[in-house]
Amino acid sequence: MNSVEYYSPTSLKEALNLLAAYGEEASILNGGTDLIVRMREGQSKPKVIVDIKKIDELHKIEIEDNYVFIGACVHLNDLGKHQYIIEKYPFLAKAALSIGSNQVRNRATCIGNICNASPLADTATPLLSLNADVHIYSENGLRTVPLNQFFVFVRKTILKQDEIVTGISFEDDDSILGVFYKMSRRKEVDLSTVCSTVIKSNKGYFVSYGAVAPTPVRLYKTESFLNENTLSQETIKEACMIASQEVSPISDIRATEKYRREIVEVTLQNSLLEWL
Amino acid sequence: MKKTINFILNGEPVEHAVDTNKTLLKMLREDFDLTGTKEGCGAGECGACTVIMDGKAVNSCLVLAVESEGKDILTIEGLTVNGELDPLQTSFVENAALQCGYCTPGMIMTAKAMLNENPNPSLDEIKEGISGNLCRCTGYKKIIEAIHSVAEQNNS
Ligand code: FES
Ligand code: FES
Repeated sequence: MNSVEYYSPTSLKEALNLLAAYGEEASILNGGTDLIVRMREGQSKPKVIVDIKKIDELHKIEIEDNYVFIGACVHLNDLGKHQYIIEKYPFLAKAALSIGSNQVRNRATCIGNICNASPLADTATPLLSLNADVHIYSENGLRTVPLNQFFVFVRKTILKQDEIVTGISFEDDDSILGVFYKMSRRKEVDLSTVCSTVIKSNKGYFVSYGAVAPTPVRLYKTESFLNENTLSQETIKEACMIASQEVSPISDIRATEKYRREIVEVTLQNSLLEWL
Repeated sequence: MKKTINFILNGEPVEHAVDTNKTLLKMLREDFDLTGTKEGCGAGECGACTVIMDGKAVNSCLVLAVESEGKDILTIEGLTVNGELDPLQTSFVENAALQCGYCTPGMIMTAKAMLNENPNPSLDEIKEGISGNLCRCTGYKKIIEAIHSVAEQNNS
């Protein structure tokens, strides 16, 4: 690993100042389960590390005013074992607990998972289907961006060098039912071959997939078809066809393109069958 | 570049100037000679480097040493107090739950953190609990039995 300067600011302001001062040379350190591996492998060579874990306000999960807010430093285990999340958003809890091992989840964070913008980020699909907003803090104040506009490409987001994600929020809606699927080669400690979250609520269907495009994606065509038709064996079949064409997977070491399209059909079918 | 940090290591407060680019794993092994903690993959996949940080099992290869500031770190060496083995260590010996032994410290630290949280895990909970620890020798059966027997002692 290259030599680094390490800072652990205790306020957002201080963290922003550091990011502004060091620009491209600085990396934010959160759970570290991704960054430290990348540094070890020479894929990341930050000169300055800004550890944001000492900023208290980033550690909270808040349920307030009909919104659920997940702070940037909330660990995957804390999210996945949070009583309210387990009861009302079990698919999100399941997604959080599907990542890495217990040891990894004690360090890794949901926001880190999102900010890394891996195409197969496991917590991205539940949050996309929940229409979550990303809270971004910078010198100009706070802005929120819908998660579906946050991802740009593989490992690329709209986040600028001098910005910090403080958390992610979504509307607390009693009518939401959701199903999360993760298909992987091993049961534990593996990356998704395909992952998905399908939500049904008073507002309609929300379908998101991971590992089938350069970023986690919403399947809007599939959603409109589902919203315009009543659920039946036939419409489920048709929705699955549409979904398998709407995604744009590639072949890689985990699976072929064809297999991924098939898995999209199977997982969507299984998800929708829950509500038939 | 070095930074001085203060933390608790196996019950003792320490002050130590550490390279800012060193992982907790490397610091334990190289600076403190605590070589019980092993490096397998160095990337969060095998669990050989597991230590307990503020009561939670973590992969020490995925933590920078400087992040230990203010933390309470427990390694396999810290389990033995005044020459007295921890019940988990005794149980691993009695159940022959190791062959080459490379995974053992990580396994035991993972099990320790698990039993602290849940003193009576079921066999399935034990299996899930150690799923972040690879063993290339034993086939896991004896490891699971060794942990289970400690859980049963807790029960009685
Ligand atoms: S050496 Fe840390 S998980 Fe393998
Ligand atoms: S005893 Fe050899 S790796 Fe587990």
